[in-house]
Amino acid sequence: MNDDKGLVLIIEDDPQTRRFLKSSLSHQGWRIIEAEDGKTGLDKVKNEHPDLVILDLGLPDMDGLSVTKKLRHLSELPILILSARSQEQNKIMALDAGADDYLTKPFGSGELNSRLQALLRRVSKSLNNSEIFETGQLKVDRVLRKVHIAGNEVRITPIEYRLLSILIRHAGLVVTHRELLKEVWSIEHINDQHYLRIYMGQLRHKLEVNPARPKYLLTEIGVGYRLAIL
Amino acid sequence: MNNDRFADSAWHRLSGYFWGILTPLICTLIDWPLQPILGEASILMTYLLGVFLVARYYGRGASITASLISAPAFAFYFASPIFSFAITDIENIIGLIVMMVVANLTSNLLDRSQSQAELARQRENRSNALYKLSLALADASTQNEVARVAVEQINQEFTADSQLWFLDQQGSLLPTTHPLPASAADLAHQLARDQAKFESDGVSYYPFRYAQATRAVIAIRFSYPLQADPALPAFLDTFRTLIAQTLERLYLAEQARKALLQVETEALRNALLSAISHDLRTPLTRINGAAATLLEAGAAISEDEKQELGKAILDEAQRMSDLTSKILDMARLSSGEITLHQDWNAIEEIVGSALTRLDSSLQDRPVRTQLSEQLPLVWLDAVLMQQVLVNLIENAIKYTPAGSPIDISAEIAGEQIQLTVTDYGAGIPPGMEEQLFEKFFRLQTETQQNGVGLGLALCRAIVKAHGGTIHAGNVAGKGAGFTIQLPVHVPPALDLAAMGDGR
Repeated sequence: MNDDKGLVLIIEDDPQTRRFLKSSLSHQGWRIIEAEDGKTGLDKVKNEHPDLVILDLGLPDMDGLSVTKKLRHLSELPILILSARSQEQNKIMALDAGADDYLTKPFGSGELNSRLQALLRRVSKSLNNSEIFETGQLKVDRVLRKVHIAGNEVRITPIEYRLLSILIRHAGLVVTHRELLKEVWSIEHINDQHYLRIYMGQLRHKLEVNPARPKYLLTEIGVGYRLAIL
Repeated sequence: MNNDRFADSAWHRLSGYFWGILTPLICTLIDWPLQPILGEASILMTYLLGVFLVARYYGRGASITASLISAPAFAFYFASPIFSFAITDIENIIGLIVMMVVANLTSNLLDRSQSQAELARQRENRSNALYKLSLALADASTQNEVARVAVEQINQEFTADSQLWFLDQQGSLLPTTHPLPASAADLAHQLARDQAKFESDGVSYYPFRYAQATRAVIAIRFSYPLQADPALPAFLDTFRTLIAQTLERLYLAEQARKALLQVETEALRNALLSAISHDLRTPLTRINGAAATLLEAGAAISEDEKQELGKAILDEAQRMSDLTSKILDMARLSSGEITLHQDWNAIEEIVGSALTRLDSSLQDRPVRTQLSEQLPLVWLDAVLMQQVLVNLIENAIKYTPAGSPIDISAEIAGEQIQLTVTDYGAGIPPGMEEQLFEKFFRLQTETQQNGVGLGLALCRAIVKAHGGTIHAGNVAGKGAGFTIQLPVHVPPALDLAAMGDGR
């Protein structure tokens, strides 16, 4: 009925959540394989080559951080973290260790679907790596390094451009503070969040109609930033 | 009281004898050429002066030495017949006797006044030490700090090595500092049982008894025998009493705090139970009903009705999820389990992310933000502060008519950052401004509101943890206004070289 979107591996120990994920995702055209602990999950990644992994942080046999690290060791496949509210710190650690995005329980199936699609897009590099990036009124020419909003060119500084282009590379996905600080500045500035606040503020004032209610440059509080795909 | 002082006094005594010998010789040398001019009585006076001076500065031993040498020197060189120790003149004999008596009396007086001065100095030192101890103890706010202060001061005042153990409830020992041998702990343990002072292996053990039990033990190894100075044991007792009193005060305060916490925890638990039983069961009932209808009625109900039931389930589940997270947050905050993850944050960003989070419940309500351009970065926990804003905005949504605007503003007011959320509803009933922030307090309004009454209590707990304040009031011409004041911190300078932005 739906075209095949891809093969998703769900690593989750709670059978109810697995059932819910399986039924809602298969309705949206994803094929599903399941694993109930970290070890099985890693085996299935090796043997069945899924396109995406949905990883629960609270597994019985391994913590989310080490599963993420092992997965990254095996392949570059996108990882979506599922976390409970009490797992903030673990979530950030998993993201810094290479997970691509997260969803906090409880979440809707629509939200899940759009995250998975954003993840696949990053891998296929169709949108995020093309010469022109376009979402809503925002248009970025990545060859000429020019930024337009509603057809008007916006002058932005080299640092602001670097910040924006990293977010574009991960469009639709969260990028953690540490990742941005490391890539735009350097590893020595990995804890200097105030740099990020100031430059992100400037960028918002240039790109957003109302910087206090941003449409494009969204804040993932306590985690990082996300460039919204409209 | 310490070694240096002992060394000093030995040196002083030695130089006393030196001067005791030297002074009569000097007198003899001065008087010899003057002999033809001066009478024997005057010469005797110069010796007397010498003996007196020696007595004045060096005390009895030295002055008697001086007089014992002066007498034969005078007899030999000056008293007739000269160059003979014999003295024939009765005046000179009386003069010599007077000299001996003066030497003795002067030095006696001097010794007494010196020992009194020494005593006064010691008393002053000790009262200074006690004063210092009581000051330091008054500053100590935990039992461990008291232990540290006590050990430090005792080590300093008594030139000792000491260690203090607390006996926890099981009676085992909690070490605090560590200069003593390992066996000291066992002995201290023994003392805890026997409860009397004892000495072993050069280490003295004293119990601290307060609040009806031996609760701490101190072991002290003095660098000289405590009995060397009869005043020292009493001085040490005063020290120990002062320390025991402070420990008792803190112990009782801690007990009182625990008792209060227990009462509060109990109250919170009861309130939570009632909240859970009422506020969580209501949405559960609705979810149950809707899901059962969907399953049982199946094909009998229209597509629209199915949609509606599904939406009801979703809404109620969402509400339950919000409630549980609020209840959990409150429980974590109340138990002191939450630690702030503070960093530099922009107010604009926190406001923005709160609005993004509430996007679906705001629908098309106008939200007017007025954030001063001059706002500095603020040192706060962004996740928690976002929660504060979310709770305030949710409240505004809940208690005001659909479509009415919400104003959010932020500005610098003196040393504070002032953040306000104002709505255009009916406002807060007078007198309720403070009660709003109590746990499980809910305004009774005509429309049925769903909430546990934890939102504002959470806000206050979070803002307070940041060293700020939050207050409610009515704003003329608008509705209810909530004002948060947060302290301003000076953000670190940007390292422009590292920015590499060529600006």
